[in-house]
Amino acid sequence: MEKEGNASNIFSASSDLNCRIFRPNWENSVDQNDPFESALSSMVSSPTASHTNNNGENIVLRELIGRLGSICNSGEISPFNNNSANTSCYSTPLNSPPKLNLMRERGNNHFLSLPTFSADPAFAERAARFSCFANRNLAGLNELPPKLDPTKIPPPSVQENWESIRAPEKNFMASRSSTPDNAADSRENSTVSEQIPIPENGANPRKRKSAPKGKGKDTTVTNVSASENSESSGKRSKSEEEKANQKASKDNSKLPEPPKDYIHVRARRGQATDAHSLAERVRREKISERMKVLQDLVPGCNKVTGKAVMLDEIINYVQSLQRQVEFLSMKLTTVNPRMDFNMEALMSKDMFQSRASLYPSDGYPFQSPCGNEAPFPPNHGRTQGPQMENFGDAASQVSSFWEDDLHSIVQMGFGQGQMQNFQGILPTSQMKVEL
Amino acid sequence: MTMNILPPNSSAIKTRFAVKFIQAMKRLSKRRGMGDRYKRYRATRAAACVSMASAVGPEWAWSRAVLRKIKRRRLLRQFRVSRKRRLIERTTNPRQNLGFGQEEDLRGLVPGGKGMDYCSLLSETAHYITCLQAQVQVMADILHRSSP
Repeated sequence: MEKEGNASNIFSASSDLNCRIFRPNWENSVDQNDPFESALSSMVSSPTASHTNNNGENIVLRELIGRLGSICNSGEISPFNNNSANTSCYSTPLNSPPKLNLMRERGNNHFLSLPTFSADPAFAERAARFSCFANRNLAGLNELPPKLDPTKIPPPSVQENWESIRAPEKNFMASRSSTPDNAADSRENSTVSEQIPIPENGANPRKRKSAPKGKGKDTTVTNVSASENSESSGKRSKSEEEKANQKASKDNSKLPEPPKDYIHVRARRGQATDAHSLAERVRREKISERMKVLQDLVPGCNKVTGKAVMLDEIINYVQSLQRQVEFLSMKLTTVNPRMDFNMEALMSKDMFQSRASLYPSDGYPFQSPCGNEAPFPPNHGRTQGPQMENFGDAASQVSSFWEDDLHSIVQMGFGQGQMQNFQGILPTSQMKVEL
Repeated sequence: MTMNILPPNSSAIKTRFAVKFIQAMKRLSKRRGMGDRYKRYRATRAAACVSMASAVGPEWAWSRAVLRKIKRRRLLRQFRVSRKRRLIERTTNPRQNLGFGQEEDLRGLVPGGKGMDYCSLLSETAHYITCLQAQVQVMADILHRSSP
């Protein structure tokens, strides 16, 4: 069993390397000491048990690589925890505890880690050899078609967990990233690949789970590997389908090459990791994102926190805007008979956007129309915007004020006759509206 | 989601809306005056909504809903056919519904809001708010040009 001998040699070498590399980093890392130690010790002990089993060995090899990657990265990256604000695997969570940021950074750096990982070039070489070895070995085991190129196509078990990865670096990273998934509960994180087709439907038809989240370590590892290998062909065909349906899914990951079709979500520590709760969390994050956008839109909502109050504010604002539109259209109907001859003038004025405003509170200096008629439509779009907004703010404020107090219309100089008309029309229109 | 990230190009929408609205108002005023001020008011309001919706374009659900509603109303007026209301049974996610019926209110306010899921409802609301703001500004602008 030459392969086994090679594997054991390489494995022992890597385990030595593990000890050399991990120890200094363990002192540095904050939270992950215990779980990683336990995981590593279990892993170091496990190869003796699974020596005879090729599958287990390959899994263990990949686990090792994953451990190396993760712990090396965490050791290097732990000082730089809060640098990158946006995490790559998932949509921006608004209120994530700082502890989880640490893990997310670690998780992210799985994918960004190639430069840091290759800081130790000899180790990188060995690890690369590992991945190729693992691929080739699995290829032999699963009797894959000979066209399987280990550098191009990841091994099936890896592929199941991370469909999108194609490049060689990604292959390497995939093997590293999948191994933590294969290990059981010792990892706090678990990756789930979700496919969220656009337009976003409620159901996510094809979800991939990583290793089952059982408590047993060795047995689950081997079981998982066996099941994954058996399902590999089926899932690979599915994945090819999915890649054929290449929809432009939103790209949450910051991988150098975009993952295809999947929204990669990382479960947080202490939270349920089944598909439903993850989908629920993604949905909640989307909703909170949009609530933030709305908060910026609606004036005076910055101090307000909480969804209920925000929604109330939004509803009130939309209602007030709609009422303003109705009010303005009402005024326009009364003004309309006089507008006939003004239409062309109005349109041309809109084009040129004479900056003169009727409100002294506007704050804009009066500009002569001739000065503005020179710049023709190419400029009007740009110049129209901000000044109209300023004018509009004043106008909207005043009009909302009018709605509150009808008598103030007199002060604005619209004349008694019109005011009476307004008073007659306004209550009826409002009654109609509120129906 | 991609549409929600970019704020709508306000000035372009404003000019498009202004042009369409003024054209519609012209047509309204040229029509043999109905005399009934309320009818004219309703026609003006409808013209405002329609011109805004057509300025926005069909990519937003609320604009499509507004145009559908106006078209249906015109057909109704012509043919006096009672249309069946399509009832969509929606089960609101208990997490989102905070117990004050806000989601339903919002759905009632935003045109076309009844047939949407909550996420898209929120993004449609955001866009609808920006377009309403633009509309108010343009209409106020027109009004104050014409009155003095």
